[in-house]
Amino acid sequence: MTKQVTLTIDGKQVTVPDGMLVVDAAKEAGIDIPVFCYHPKMEPVGMCRMCLVEIGRPVMDRTTGKPILDDKGEPKLQFLPKLETACTNPVSEGMVVYTQSEKAEAGQKSTIEFLLTSHPLDCPICDKGGECPLQNLTMAYGPGKSRFLFDEKMHLAKMVPLGELIYLDQERCIQCARCIRFQDEVAGDAVLGFDERGRSTQIVSLSDPGFDSVFSGNTTDICPVGALTTADFRFGARPWELSSSASICSQCPVGCNITFNTRREAMSDGKIVIKRVMPRQNEEVNEIWMCDKGRFAYHYAESEKRLSKPLIRKDGKLSRASWDAATQAAGEAIAKAKKDLVVLASGRLSNEDLFNLKSFADQVEGKAVLYTHMGGGDLVSLVGVGQGTNFGAMGAGTTIVVVASDLYEEAPVWYLRVKQAVQRGAALIVANPRETKLDRYASFVIRYSYGDEVRTVHDLTKKGKVGDAFAKAENAVILFGSDGLGLDGSTALATACARALNDTEHAGKPNNGLIGVWQRANDQGAWEIGFRPEENLVGALKGKTVYVVGADPAGDDPALVRALHGTEFVIAQDLFETETAKLADVVLPAQAYTEREGTFTSGERRVQRFYPAVPALDGTRPDFAITSQVARQASVILEGTSASVVFDILAEDIKSFAGLNYAKLAEVKPQRPIVGRGDLYYGGTTYENKFGLGVQLSSAADRSEKFTLPRVQKVEELRPKEKKLLAVPVTKLYDRGVTVESAKLLNQRIGEAFVALHPSAAEQLGVEAGERVKLSLDGVSEDVVVKIDETISTGVVLVPRSMGLPISAPAEASLKAAKKVSVRA
Amino acid sequence: MSLAEKYPKEVKQILAKYPPEHKRSAVMPLLYLAQREDGYITKEAMQDIADALEISVTDVGSVVGFYTLYHDKKEGKYRMQVCTDLPCALRGADQFMESLCSNLGIKVGETTADGLVTLEAVTCLAACDRAPMFQIQSGDGLKYYEDMNVDKTMELIEALRKAESNS
Ligand code: SF4
Ligand code: SF4
Ligand code: FES
Ligand code: FES
Repeated sequence: MTKQVTLTIDGKQVTVPDGMLVVDAAKEAGIDIPVFCYHPKMEPVGMCRMCLVEIGRPVMDRTTGKPILDDKGEPKLQFLPKLETACTNPVSEGMVVYTQSEKAEAGQKSTIEFLLTSHPLDCPICDKGGECPLQNLTMAYGPGKSRFLFDEKMHLAKMVPLGELIYLDQERCIQCARCIRFQDEVAGDAVLGFDERGRSTQIVSLSDPGFDSVFSGNTTDICPVGALTTADFRFGARPWELSSSASICSQCPVGCNITFNTRREAMSDGKIVIKRVMPRQNEEVNEIWMCDKGRFAYHYAESEKRLSKPLIRKDGKLSRASWDAATQAAGEAIAKAKKDLVVLASGRLSNEDLFNLKSFADQVEGKAVLYTHMGGGDLVSLVGVGQGTNFGAMGAGTTIVVVASDLYEEAPVWYLRVKQAVQRGAALIVANPRETKLDRYASFVIRYSYGDEVRTVHDLTKKGKVGDAFAKAENAVILFGSDGLGLDGSTALATACARALNDTEHAGKPNNGLIGVWQRANDQGAWEIGFRPEENLVGALKGKTVYVVGADPAGDDPALVRALHGTEFVIAQDLFETETAKLADVVLPAQAYTEREGTFTSGERRVQRFYPAVPALDGTRPDFAITSQVARQASVILEGTSASVVFDILAEDIKSFAGLNYAKLAEVKPQRPIVGRGDLYYGGTTYENKFGLGVQLSSAADRSEKFTLPRVQKVEELRPKEKKLLAVPVTKLYDRGVTVESAKLLNQRIGEAFVALHPSAAEQLGVEAGERVKLSLDGVSEDVVVKIDETISTGVVLVPRSMGLPISAPAEASLKAAKKVSVRA
Repeated sequence: MSLAEKYPKEVKQILAKYPPEHKRSAVMPLLYLAQREDGYITKEAMQDIADALEISVTDVGSVVGFYTLYHDKKEGKYRMQVCTDLPCALRGADQFMESLCSNLGIKVGETTADGLVTLEAVTCLAACDRAPMFQIQSGDGLKYYEDMNVDKTMELIEALRKAESNS
């Protein structure tokens, strides 16, 4: 344990760990020292001088090493002639700090006075007004008037786009460099900097595209003034008009804790709408950060295209019907089908929805199929990360392995947390067939060819430098993904990972075990509840009655369109009239997760609650409720009228959830740093967590259960054949999924569908980066843009998932240079 | 053409001066090199340097922005930087500057029509006792001119102009 040090701040005795900064020690004692540039998540720089205080240190007798005492027998104190910055000075034994003395107050007053010489004071039209540290600290510590000449204020540009997402108001910036340091130290994308010097100092971004980072939104939270605003919220509302609801981001398996800020507004026809998404503190999940996809891709639920009425197919056409009629039609079809029912659902749904669907399928002896391209969730339940796992606690002694995944694109906040763990001393092994951003932080980068995943993981258990780094580590975690892999490939990879962890005794304890980098927020939950993917989905659908929920197979793959045509009956339950809905016999309109409550299970197997943020669209119902209604029509009674009761039943039924309930999931405990509405100046506008930190599920290894891991199944060799190209799927953060596509802002970052080739392959075809080629895959041809990636092998081309190209697993592809349009002179 | 293609020897020499793990320290000499020919640093050159030193182009740009002897816009081939700080002002730097402006027909910060000279006002160049004084920044580096007057300065500019048209 670190040495404890006792000091006195404003007459209050405090005991804190040695090395703590005075500003943080004061915070512990409930004393606020005003700061602008200091941020508890970043290294101090002492740039703004707002935190000036008087610091006295006991004078030591050099011969005895004891403090010298004054006449009264008190230790004699020595004060520097000038004020000192509380944000750069660490505490020491016997220190005495005055934060409110006359001298300290004079320091605070003049710092504010100086800061405001160049400040526009346009609070009445500033987005930050109402939650602005500069505004608040000026009221609390400022002199109230200025001796500077108003006419000599700097006038600068007020609408400088740093990229499409973030705008800079140059007049408002106080040059605290929090944003630059965040990008540098925390995000690892050093795309912001200062231009010029002195009074002309300005924030710039020279990257292409501007402010090229998926973490850019966080800078608007920690900017202590209204200099940085998001293009999304800019002039959207005043902070005090907003209500907040706790939620969980549904975009990826990290499960960042978020807050939806809403307001009822005339602009939206008097409806209550979401105005912005903010991070909510959970130091074990996302700390106080989130990524831009989570922040900006929430507009889909407001789309005009939402379904609001059930539909039934009549005379070949879908037409509106009542809920009773539609659920009856669905229920009857299922009652008839019985074991010929296939429920096809995705990890977009909540635990409650999936549980009801699974119970329904079980009771009619049908099948519950998970719609995914990635396997191995059952293994994660066995050797999945131990209860109490927290990337934030990993450092020296822990080895993190990332295999077949580009974390920056697939689970951004994990990328950030893994990077941070490495900076605290953890070892990182990144094994991928191509270069990824995380390589920069790796102690070992392993580059294998597509198809060699299993062997690569197997090598981790062998002797040697890399093997030792993994096998001999005190703690080891493996994050596995599906870069270039389909269902069977990723299942084999997961098995190899699970075995490697188990063999080296890296399971069943905190900070050890397996994590799946899933495509959807609740894929792991679906596995826990018993959903399993189907190797041959096309075959499994033949002649069946299919109940598709929260998935759009027909939109993803033409082969599945054909498969759905060959079924007996199709029921589609979704927010939108998807391609699947268009060919269904019954369509049921579901609520968005922002309109109801429920829980998701994150990739780290943390079960977390989300709460309703906005009223549900008229005519829609929550998925779990629709399922009970359909079930009733098929004479199956699913208990549970509310999400919380469904969860109680789930917890009784599923071992890993045993003992959990909504109240437990809503428990909180104090977290550091202290953030929240009263502490804006310190941590930023991130929300404090008042609605639950969630609970991490136990794994079979945690519970010391006996289990045997399956053998690694041989997967058909995935090698490029002579003269043929092997197209492998990769995941991009900004894809053409419905959430990003309906977010106008992010849309600009998606870019076009592309194919990435090795330079020599491109040369052979006679194409260059940026040109178009015709890509044929699975009988579908599409014009796509060429990208060059010299880190892949020549016979392989990368094709992004969810970009309109049917690629769920590696497949043969052919490329043709698109016809050049000849222009006559 | 990239910087390394244009000046292979120089780039190598500069990089050799710094240990590989601290190669970012080579940013300043490389920027001078990039500025040598045209008197300013292009965005492409900044990108080249960023790539070579494995830092972000924004970091390179920040250095360019911070130091007043780096320029990111094409201006005069010769930058005449006249000190107008207090000690020099006491020795007539202001009047000197004023008449220089009217002789050249430009304002401070502007460039002559032929693109030869950009006139700039700067702070102390540590030659206060020999004011009026200025330095000329060009591809060849910095040169000091002390105890100047307008006639001498105009002669100097004429000479530069001649040399330019002969080359
Ligand atoms: S933009 Fe905001 S965070 Fe960045 S330096 Fe200016 S005031 Fe600080
Ligand atoms: S990292 Fe994942 S969970 Fe977190 S905000 Fe981004 S998309 Fe959402
Ligand atoms: S100098 Fe301490 S907070 Fe800025
Ligand atoms: S003041 Fe001009 S050189 Fe010093």
